[in-house]
This record gives sequence, C-alpha cells and structure tokens, in this order.
Amino acid sequence: MAATARSSRGLPIAAYLALLVVLALTSAFVAVMAIVLWLPPRPPDVMRADMVSEHFKLGYDHMRIHGRLIEDAGMSWHVQADAPRQVHLPQMHPTQHMLAGRLDLQPDQVRIAAAQIQRNDVFVFRVRDAEEMARDARREVERLRREGRLEQRQVIVRPSGEDGEIETRVGHVIDEHGFEIRVPQPLPEPDAAPAPRRSGGVRVAAPAPPAPPTPPVARVPVFAPAPPGVILISGFEIGAQLPDGRWLVMRQGRNWAELSWIGRATLVIGGTLLVLSLLAMWFARRLTRPIRNFSEAVQAVGVDPQSEPVREEGPRELRGAARAVNTMQARLRALIADRTKTLAAVAHDMRTPLMRLRLTAENAASEQREKMAKEIEEVEALVASFIAFARDDPAEEARVRLDLSALLQSTADDHAEAGRNVSFAGEDRVVITGQSLGLKRLFSNLVDNALKYGASARIKLRREENAVIVDVEDDGPGIPADQRESVFEPFVRLNAEGTRGAGLGLAAARSIARAHGGDIVILDAEHGALLRVTLPG
Amino acid sequence: MPAGYTRPELPPPWGEACPSPDRRRIMALMADTPQPPRVLIVDDDGAIRDGLVDVFARAGFSASAAADVASMERHLASKGADLIVLDLMMPGEDGLSACKRLSGKGRPPIIMLSALGDDADRIVGLEIGADDYLAKPCNPRELVARARAVLRRARDAEGATAPGENIRFAGFRLDIPRRELVDPDDVVIPLSAGEFRLLRAFVERPQRVLSREQLLDYAFDNDSDVFDRAVDVQVSRLRKKLERPGSIEIIRTVRGEGYLFAVKPMV
Repeated sequence: MAATARSSRGLPIAAYLALLVVLALTSAFVAVMAIVLWLPPRPPDVMRADMVSEHFKLGYDHMRIHGRLIEDAGMSWHVQADAPRQVHLPQMHPTQHMLAGRLDLQPDQVRIAAAQIQRNDVFVFRVRDAEEMARDARREVERLRREGRLEQRQVIVRPSGEDGEIETRVGHVIDEHGFEIRVPQPLPEPDAAPAPRRSGGVRVAAPAPPAPPTPPVARVPVFAPAPPGVILISGFEIGAQLPDGRWLVMRQGRNWAELSWIGRATLVIGGTLLVLSLLAMWFARRLTRPIRNFSEAVQAVGVDPQSEPVREEGPRELRGAARAVNTMQARLRALIADRTKTLAAVAHDMRTPLMRLRLTAENAASEQREKMAKEIEEVEALVASFIAFARDDPAEEARVRLDLSALLQSTADDHAEAGRNVSFAGEDRVVITGQSLGLKRLFSNLVDNALKYGASARIKLRREENAVIVDVEDDGPGIPADQRESVFEPFVRLNAEGTRGAGLGLAAARSIARAHGGDIVILDAEHGALLRVTLPG
Repeated sequence: MPAGYTRPELPPPWGEACPSPDRRRIMALMADTPQPPRVLIVDDDGAIRDGLVDVFARAGFSASAAADVASMERHLASKGADLIVLDLMMPGEDGLSACKRLSGKGRPPIIMLSALGDDADRIVGLEIGADDYLAKPCNPRELVARARAVLRRARDAEGATAPGENIRFAGFRLDIPRRELVDPDDVVIPLSAGEFRLLRAFVERPQRVLSREQLLDYAFDNDSDVFDRAVDVQVSRLRKKLERPGSIEIIRTVRGEGYLFAVKPMV
C-alpha cells in the first residue's frame, strides 16, 4: 500500500482546475474591489438645471458678441433655423423663465427639453468638511479685502446652524456653505458668479455643492441632500432665439469626464487580466509539463522497452497512468526477455544437431562431405533467417552517422572476396544516419536475393535532394509486375520450385528500410530485377 | 546415425585431409613451440565435444574437453591450456559470464562457439572479451584456422590488440568488436572483412615495414586463393577510406619491401 500512499500525494486535475478557478475569481474580486475603493465614482450624467442655464448664458453671450459658437468640450452647440421642440415640463418653467430673464428674452424665446428630470431630494451630495470650508471662506475674504470690497472689519465666520462653533476673527461667510454672510454691502454682481440669487421663488445655487445643515468640525466627509429647489436634468437640450431669428441650441454632449475614469478602470481590469493570464499560463505549463514528460517517456518506452521507467509525478490521474505504463513496460520487458530466451533456446536446439552433423560430415568421404556441408549450410541459412526475423527489432540498435557508400562498397567487397559477382558504383562518402548492422543486413539481404535468382548483382548509389537512392539490380528472370508487392510479405517466395530460403529476406529488408523512414520498391527493368531502396538523406 | 552407416576410417593426422600449406604452417608452429598447442573444448553436448576433439587432434593440437564451466576451471587449474573453445549456452554458468570472469588475468585466448549467430551476438561476445566468435554450425576447418590465427596473435603479443577494445589513431577509431572504422567526424565507415583484418594487422604492428607475405599471413585466412596482388588491392581500398584532405599518409608504400603503418595507435 506504500505505492498507493505515495501516489495519492498528487492532486487530481480537477483540484488544479478548481484552484485556478478560485484564483481567477479571487483576482476578479480584487480587481473589482480595487476599482470600487481606489477609483472615485464617475461623475453623474445628471446636471443641475440652474448651472446648465448659466452655462448656456455663457455660450449665448459668446455667440452674440463674437458671432460664432463657443468652443466647448462638454456640450454640443449648433445654430438652426427652426425652433427646437417645445416640451411642456411644468418643473422646468421656473428655470425657463429665469433663463429668459437673464438673456433678456421672452420666455417663449427659450426652450428647454430634458429626457429626465430628477427631484433634488433623490440625490445626496458629498460636501467638504467644515475646516476646509472655513479655509476657503478666509481665502475669499482675503481676496475681497485686497480688491477693496471689504472693509477692514471684523467678520464672524460660523456655521449658520450652530452659533459659536467655529469662529474666526476675519471671515467671509458664504451662505450656500451654511455660513452667514456678514459683509456690510452686497457683493458686486459680475464677480459673484457663484453668488446666490433669488428669483421666481427658485433659489439658484452656486457651483459649489450644497451644504449640510450642521457641518461637523471633524475632518470627515459630510453628506447632504441637494439644496432645496435644485432640479437635476439629463439628456437635455436648451434653445434660445438669437437676435437674427435663428436658434442657438445646446445639447448635452458626451460626458468626457468619464473618459479618464474609463481609462483607469480599463487599466485596473486590464492589469488584473494580464496578471491573471500570466498566472494561468504558468499554471497551464505546470499542469502540462508532467503530461508532456509523460508522453515523451511513454514514447521512449514505445521505442525502447529497456528505457527508464516513466516517473510518477504530476496530477493524480497522470501518476495512475504512469504506473500503468510502468507495469506494462515491465510486462513488455518480461515478454521480450521471454522471447529472447525462447529464440536462444530454439537456436541452440536447432544448431546443436546441425553442428553434430557437420562434425560427422568431416569424417565422410571428401565429395560426400562437401554435399553434406552444403545441405547443412542451407538448413542453417533457413534457421538463421527465421531467428533473425523473429527477433527482428529495428528499434534495438542505436543510430549513428555512417558512410553508406563505404557500407555498400564493403558489402560488395565481401561478396567479391568470396568469389561472387557483386559490384558497386556510386559517389564517395554519402553520410546518412542509421543503424549500421541493420543497414548491412538490409543490403546483404537484397544482394543475397539478387544472387539467388541471378548470377550477379550491381549496387548503385546516388544522392538526391532529400534522399539517397540505392538500386540493386540482378540479371535474373525479374519479378512479374503482379508480384512486386507480395514478395515483401514474409514467407512468400517467387517460385517455390528450386529456390532456397524462407522468403524472409525481403520482408526483413523492407521493415528495416521503413524503420529508417525509407522504403523499398521494385521497378521495371530491361532485364532482371531492379529493387530501389530510398532512405532519407 | 542412420542404420548402415559405417564410420569411415580416420585419416592420419598428417594425411591428405590436411592441405599442404596447412601442414607447413603447423610444422612452423610446432617448431616454435616445443609441444603442440593445448586446446580445451568446453561444450555441454557430448557429440560436439568428441567431434571437435577429433578435429583438433587431427590438425595437430593436443585437445581435451570439458562439459561445463566448473570442470573447465578444474582443467585450467590442473593442466592449463593455450586456447579455449567455449560454448556460449551451457547448463550452469554460461560461456559469456565465464569469459567475463576469466578475462583480465592472464587467461588463454578464447574462441566462442555459439548457437547465436547474429552480428549483434557476435559483437556482444567480442566486447565481453572473446578473441573470436564463431556461430554453430561452422566449418570445422574454419574453426581450426581461426584457432591458429588467435594463437598466432597471442604469440605476437607485442602489439596485439585485446579483443573488445577500440584503437585510436590519427583521429580515427577502430572498433574491433563491431569491425567498424569511425572517422574524425564521428561517421561510421563500414569495412569489408578483408579490409578489417588488414587494418587490424597494421595497427597491431605499427611503424614497421610489413611485406606482402606477412600481411597475407596476418590478415588472410589460409584458405588462400589470395595473392600478393590482392594485398595491394585491399591496401588501396583501405587507403581510400583513411584518406582525409590535409592529413598525412597513414599507410605508406615502401618500395620493394611492402607497407608501413606510419602512425602510432593508442588503445
């Protein structure tokens, strides 16, 4: 059970995937939280109707003075001949009237349309803390004093709701901040764009946010509802007739303030995704490395059963598979050992009597001896080809770089030395990668075959683009076209009468050639047989 | 044995069965060594054992036999031997492991006689340290010839190459068990049997002028239709395989005398 305990250390693939999902969700959550916490909320699309009217007045004045549209990133302006549509919105009437008054126009010369109108109490504004407000107030007083609009007098700054909470000796009390103004004379109109005005019962607020009823002293953000009477609109269109009778129209444009916000949000999300994808890549590699190793190891086992066993690593499923492969490899090894043992036993049992016979033949009369020796040789050749074919394992021998030209030359020379007519022609030094014993056997099988059917064999070697081509020709009767495939099958002989051998030579030769990534084919020849071996160069 | 078969009379040891060149060589061998060479035949098959003892005795050896590795060792310890003909597959300890165990200490040369005849088996046998390897069934006369060649090589111990080793010279490597030449670029250059024997004869006797007769003697078995001319042909083939641009001439011709292997080989 030790093996089971060891193998269970690996996590199942599902666990890895779950971990990845958890990681992905966690980082997505972190990203969202980062956006929520780090990035301020994007500015609202809704705008205060009073502020919008003020803005329109600016553009209108610009048009009247300069005769061209104001350049404005936030709103889209144009001039049109027809009046914009008139929408009856009772809530907007005060604004409309006020705007007409500001522009010195009749109320029907001003048109306001809005897709949405919100009541002010829906929204809560964030306001600054009281100390900040007091600082602003002091700065304002300083400015007024410098401009000589403020007498050198004591000004009390204090929140309007709670007397004495914050008191400054010099101060400018701004009422929209919730402070009282105690300035002797009213501030001049043009300077006080943010100054409060009352008209038509609607209180027009300055751009500053509305104040809380009682701002606390502490430096904490304060929230307050919108000032009373403020109307919030979105998707609006404001038009006013120009002196020449055309209409100047301002439409709410794209909220460009969003852009930077979108940019930052994209950055955060993109960054998270990048980190996440890097993480996922690393994870995938980690997860697939054992799988890759496994496939390589299995391939190695497939090629060479004597290779190292597959390492049991990685996810649990893979460990299981590796164990199965190792068991299989062990069985395979045992099988091969068995086969080797069997073949050795067969070889021993068949060749020992042959050897006895051969020794007995030595005592026979000279001519009888030769005859017997010849017969024994024939039987031995059969036995040898059976055993060679049965143990045939093209993968067993290592591949080396070898000179095919020298190999063919030496094959021819060996035959020539034994008095057979075998010749070789071809260029010198043709280096290929292959098994030296395997290739020797391949070509000696072909040459033996050629000599079996004819009296001579010619080997020709030539190199082509990506291959080397070896032709083995003989001067025998040739091979009929319809048998050119079947002769490569084991135990098939061209004509059983009068030929020797088991019919295994060509089969073995072809299997060696194919194990080298090449092949053997039989081609048409003028006389005799022409076998062409192609090997990758 | 089939019925009616009568064992012919054994020819005398020096009778017509021995061709005359053979006889000359044996006489020479006998002249060198006061006693006939002692060969020990180790085989589990009785008929083969007896047959081989006959063959060797007829060829002028003093032949004895052992049925397994244990009795072989007893024989070696008591009487010694100049040559062992060792069967590979035997009950008990097999020939390979016996050969492996014996090699190293000054053991007699070993010829393996095996039922496994593949090139791969032969290479394994030679790599393990056998001096020669023959597959059953073999021509008994060839076995005797090989035995003589092995003895001759053992006697010329001076530059003799141990079986199973690689010999390096001038960037080349001669792989003796595989009978292959590996060139400086690590490309295997197969040799024919004749080329291999000739090259081995050269590397075992380097920097010495060798006459054609000597080369014939060292490199070609005595079933020789081989003439001096054949030596020249083999030498020129071998030269072509050893030829590399810019390198020195490894096999030199010494006019009127023979050939010289001009570089010093290293094991």
